[in-house]
Amino acid sequence: MAGPAKVKKASLGRLLAPVRRVLVVACLLQAISAVAGVAPFIAVAELGRVLLAEGPIDSARAWTIAIIGAAALVVRLVFMLAAGGLTHLADLDFQLDLRRRMAAHLGRVPLGWFTERQAGQVKKALQDDVSALHHLVGHAFTNMVSAAVTPLVSLIYLVWVDWRLTLVAIVPLLLGMGFLYAFQMRGFREKMAAYNTSLERVNSASVEFVQGIAVVKTFGQSRRAYQRFLDETRRFMDYFWEWVQGLLKFSAASEVVLSPLFSLVVVLGGGILFVSQGWLAPVDVLPFAILGLGFTAPFLTIGYAQNDMMMAQQAAKRINDLFDAPTLPNKATGRVPDGTRVVYEGVRFSYDGRVDVLQDIDLDLAPGTVTALVGPSGSGKTTIAKLLPRFWDPTGGRITLGGVPIDELPSAELYRRVGFVFQDVQLLHASIAANIALGRPDATMEQVSAAARAAQIDDRITALPRGYDSVVGDDAKLSGGEAQRVSIARAILADAPILVLDEATAFADPESEAAIQDALSTLAAGRTLLVIAHRLHTIVGADQICVVDKGRIVERGRHADLLTLGGLYARMWAASERAQAQPIDGAAEPAMGSEAAQ
Amino acid sequence: MIRALFNVAGPEAARLLRRNLIGLGAEGLLMGLGFALLVPLLAALFADNAADALAWLAAMAGVLVIYAAVRYRSQLAGYMAAIGLGRGLFSRLGNHVAELPLGWFGPDRVGQVGRLTSQGVIDVVGVPAHLLRPVITAFVTPATVIALMFVFDWRLALAALVTAPIAALVYRWTGNLVQRTDHRTHEAAAEAAGRVVEFAQTQAVLRAFGRSAEGYGLLDDALKEQRDAGRAQIMTAVPGFAAFVLVVQFAFTIVLLFGTSLALGGSIDVPELLALLVLAVRYVEPLIMAADLGGALRIGRNSLARMDTLMATEPLPEPKASAAMTGAGIVFDQVGFAYDQRPVLTDVSFTVPAGKMTALVGPSGSGKTTLIRLAARFWDVDTGLVRVAGADVRHFRTEDLMAQLSMVFQDVYLFDGSIDDNIRMGRPEASDEDVRQAARLARVDEIADRLPDGYASKVGEGGAALSGGERQRVSIARAILKDAPIVLLDEATAALDPENEAAVQDALRALTADRTLLVVAHRLQTVQSADQIIVLDGGTVAEQGSHTELLSKGGRYAAFWRERSRAEGWRLAPERSAPTGHPNAHDPGA
Repeated sequence: MAGPAKVKKASLGRLLAPVRRVLVVACLLQAISAVAGVAPFIAVAELGRVLLAEGPIDSARAWTIAIIGAAALVVRLVFMLAAGGLTHLADLDFQLDLRRRMAAHLGRVPLGWFTERQAGQVKKALQDDVSALHHLVGHAFTNMVSAAVTPLVSLIYLVWVDWRLTLVAIVPLLLGMGFLYAFQMRGFREKMAAYNTSLERVNSASVEFVQGIAVVKTFGQSRRAYQRFLDETRRFMDYFWEWVQGLLKFSAASEVVLSPLFSLVVVLGGGILFVSQGWLAPVDVLPFAILGLGFTAPFLTIGYAQNDMMMAQQAAKRINDLFDAPTLPNKATGRVPDGTRVVYEGVRFSYDGRVDVLQDIDLDLAPGTVTALVGPSGSGKTTIAKLLPRFWDPTGGRITLGGVPIDELPSAELYRRVGFVFQDVQLLHASIAANIALGRPDATMEQVSAAARAAQIDDRITALPRGYDSVVGDDAKLSGGEAQRVSIARAILADAPILVLDEATAFADPESEAAIQDALSTLAAGRTLLVIAHRLHTIVGADQICVVDKGRIVERGRHADLLTLGGLYARMWAASERAQAQPIDGAAEPAMGSEAAQ
Repeated sequence: MIRALFNVAGPEAARLLRRNLIGLGAEGLLMGLGFALLVPLLAALFADNAADALAWLAAMAGVLVIYAAVRYRSQLAGYMAAIGLGRGLFSRLGNHVAELPLGWFGPDRVGQVGRLTSQGVIDVVGVPAHLLRPVITAFVTPATVIALMFVFDWRLALAALVTAPIAALVYRWTGNLVQRTDHRTHEAAAEAAGRVVEFAQTQAVLRAFGRSAEGYGLLDDALKEQRDAGRAQIMTAVPGFAAFVLVVQFAFTIVLLFGTSLALGGSIDVPELLALLVLAVRYVEPLIMAADLGGALRIGRNSLARMDTLMATEPLPEPKASAAMTGAGIVFDQVGFAYDQRPVLTDVSFTVPAGKMTALVGPSGSGKTTLIRLAARFWDVDTGLVRVAGADVRHFRTEDLMAQLSMVFQDVYLFDGSIDDNIRMGRPEASDEDVRQAARLARVDEIADRLPDGYASKVGEGGAALSGGERQRVSIARAILKDAPIVLLDEATAALDPENEAAVQDALRALTADRTLLVVAHRLQTVQSADQIIVLDGGTVAEQGSHTELLSKGGRYAAFWRERSRAEGWRLAPERSAPTGHPNAHDPGA
């Protein structure tokens, strides 16, 4: 079972280093609070001693003890609040600091890292996982201190009163530990793992059930729709029941042993025996009746904290995984690119370090020319293009810009020269003006609106109630095509001489295709272009067309040359012409329909 | 909370739950009784009356034995109630969700319901299994102790009780305080989460435009606000919490000081006082413990509330038996429909003739997709009616209506099974022959050939192992196998690579041959070949007719056609010197 001691030291220790000192102070405060918390109980015991003493009662002493007891409660509260407040405030600063460090780290990992992950996973790490550490920083350590100090102080006092009866008083504790050990022996861990597996199956069945419901209903199987869901949930409940049933007698017995009533019976039984044997004065049983019940309390603390601890551990692991993501090396040498010629030299690339997805890529982008990358999906054309804005770094060979390898350029220098527009529009939840001026925060309003005009979106923006101050997503609800044009305006304003472009952008929204295309044409004019092309006819006039297949450039030339070559490009061209020419309705062109049916 | 539990529990689970509650109450009582026996026991002990003390100890041990038995029984009942509750909730939620209209399942709903039907149920099950015990005994045990204190000495009991109402007031006051700051912390957390998602999603752009993490002020501001909101909450909560603990502790302080003065004044028996002081300790502790359980209970309560909302969502009413079907046409008759109070369609009337192809065109937001979904009764119309196969869609049972329809929509969902399983969904009793035939027609055979296990290859959750175009082909094969007379098609807008594009077109041709086809069309070839074109604008039918009729009218459709033709001929890299005859309507770069 998980106490902080058993948590993987390396990962947690690394994370907690910044708050270690605060935690130590808080634990000391908590220890004082715990000692003060035992004092009122001792006061009651001592009060009994005074009141039951032979002869006249020493009332001054009685009052002193009572008042000390009452005051100790206040002390306990003050120190407890101090410790709790300290850990909670420290936790907030810790979380802020951790989130900032994570964001800073993520700002340096290869862009490709984000492509392979959903934004939701990043959110989970930065928000949920960091929050899951709250229990650890805010409660776990101070709770453990209380759980240890309270019984320890009680024990010392009780030993001082009578060590023999103390031995009797810790019997329930020893029994509890025995039960705990037996739990472990009964394969608690394995059962827990099986439980979690079963729960995961319920989760996935439930997701599938809800997500696939449209399909299932459409095919008239509503009744069978949720069969898997019902089966999995039934199996889960059966497992849960079986597990609980097997443990019930056992766990009920252990909880009874750990209950205060059991401790009371044991302590008083021992007390009565000791008194009747004359080993102990009756009044000395009192401290045991009060304090002897507290020994089993740590079990409860640990039990309640266990789930939180487990989650904190898993969260810490995920956070550390994030920190372990390698960052792009920064080899800035201060060399300044001479011109904007881009050259790929023998570039190789592998995502996993084993299988090369790109091999021997040589590419020369002369200033002002258009280069198109075409090829089947999965051929590697997108990867080639994305190496230039450093989504990833090549695993072999190099890419130079104006004679300087791009990994020697500070990122600001690189991105001043290389812009890109991809299919997934990336607008910030900020004003439209701020979105357009992202790359040039000092741009004037005139420059911003000029860029918007060039991107065919100015009319739409000025029609909004707050114009350029409208906030994307709040009062500026943009369609896909409109958002795309805002992002093109941004690229126009940033004015990088080299542009990496996904041609599919132009077809992302059929409703405003023509406007996007006009915007793209404006953006592309006069720049060095590297285009990932899907619809071949849009790039027939490219200066060079590179046909990518299985990670290599297999053909290269102008449109007419490649058609004459009669290779992969020619075949792709034929297929695309056919798809372009055909209507859906088979009845309209029976010849085509029967061909498809063959 | 407990009432809400009974609301969702079936009769069997409710019975067990009741038994569990009675058991827990008895447990608390017995525990309190056991503690109370301390008073006579200690009194006897201090009076050197070993025999009496032993007798009281025996009584206490007897209570302990009964307590253990009751505890076992109530724990058993608790688990049984939990399991009954879980089983009942799973199946009732499942049944209910399966009955809800398809239109109800928006993207955000899917996630919510998915969580509710898994973790949500577990949270609720945890209440009787683990949480009810500490909460109930935390109140019953001290109440019993106090009540029994009255038997021994009413003055001390009253003194202990004095602070209870104050404690309750302070507890409520603190809760309100924290709730008020809760709003700010939730807002801050949501904003920060949003900014983190944005930070990850727009990372490429942020970097390209020179905004590294340090320079991205929006994220940092949100994170700082999250910290500050947390601080403000602590600053508010700490005094409240302090006050609560202080008041609860005060009960003990009063008893201690008041008891001391009574004892010194000689108006109370010393052994009795001491025993009562021990009792007072028992009275205070559980209350402080109970305050810690609030969070876990809140989670269960929230899940319950969400389940209530879900169960309150009405499925669409259905007749016992379906109306008779004639033909395979669709009629929209003065259809009006609003979604979330926002009117989408007003007074839309047109007929989709059987065996013919009707294309819907119009700007985004004009209601095209809504129309074809109304034909499948995703929702019910607000005014007018939709007739499929000669009768109002509301007069069919869902299965009978669905049997008439094949739907191919953009968001294709495949089940985590093999390709074969997924196609077979279209008609589970189909022969292998038929499945293969449908696969061939939709050109899924090429996909199966490529994969190591052929038709037995797993497609992954949601079809993740296949590309978008391939998923579409599988879904079309499924529809071909189903062989329904009416096809509703929402043509894909996203660009596919040329081979997939051609394959999907072939597949669609096979599906739509000789059937009634209502299609939201994006490709010009599709629009052009339709028998009838409906131009929608602003939720009404703007124009209607064949391609040539509409073109010659020179209206909205003609403008649409010109614009789209221009887009079709767009060249990113125009042929500067090439003399080929591709239309090149617009080219500022040339």
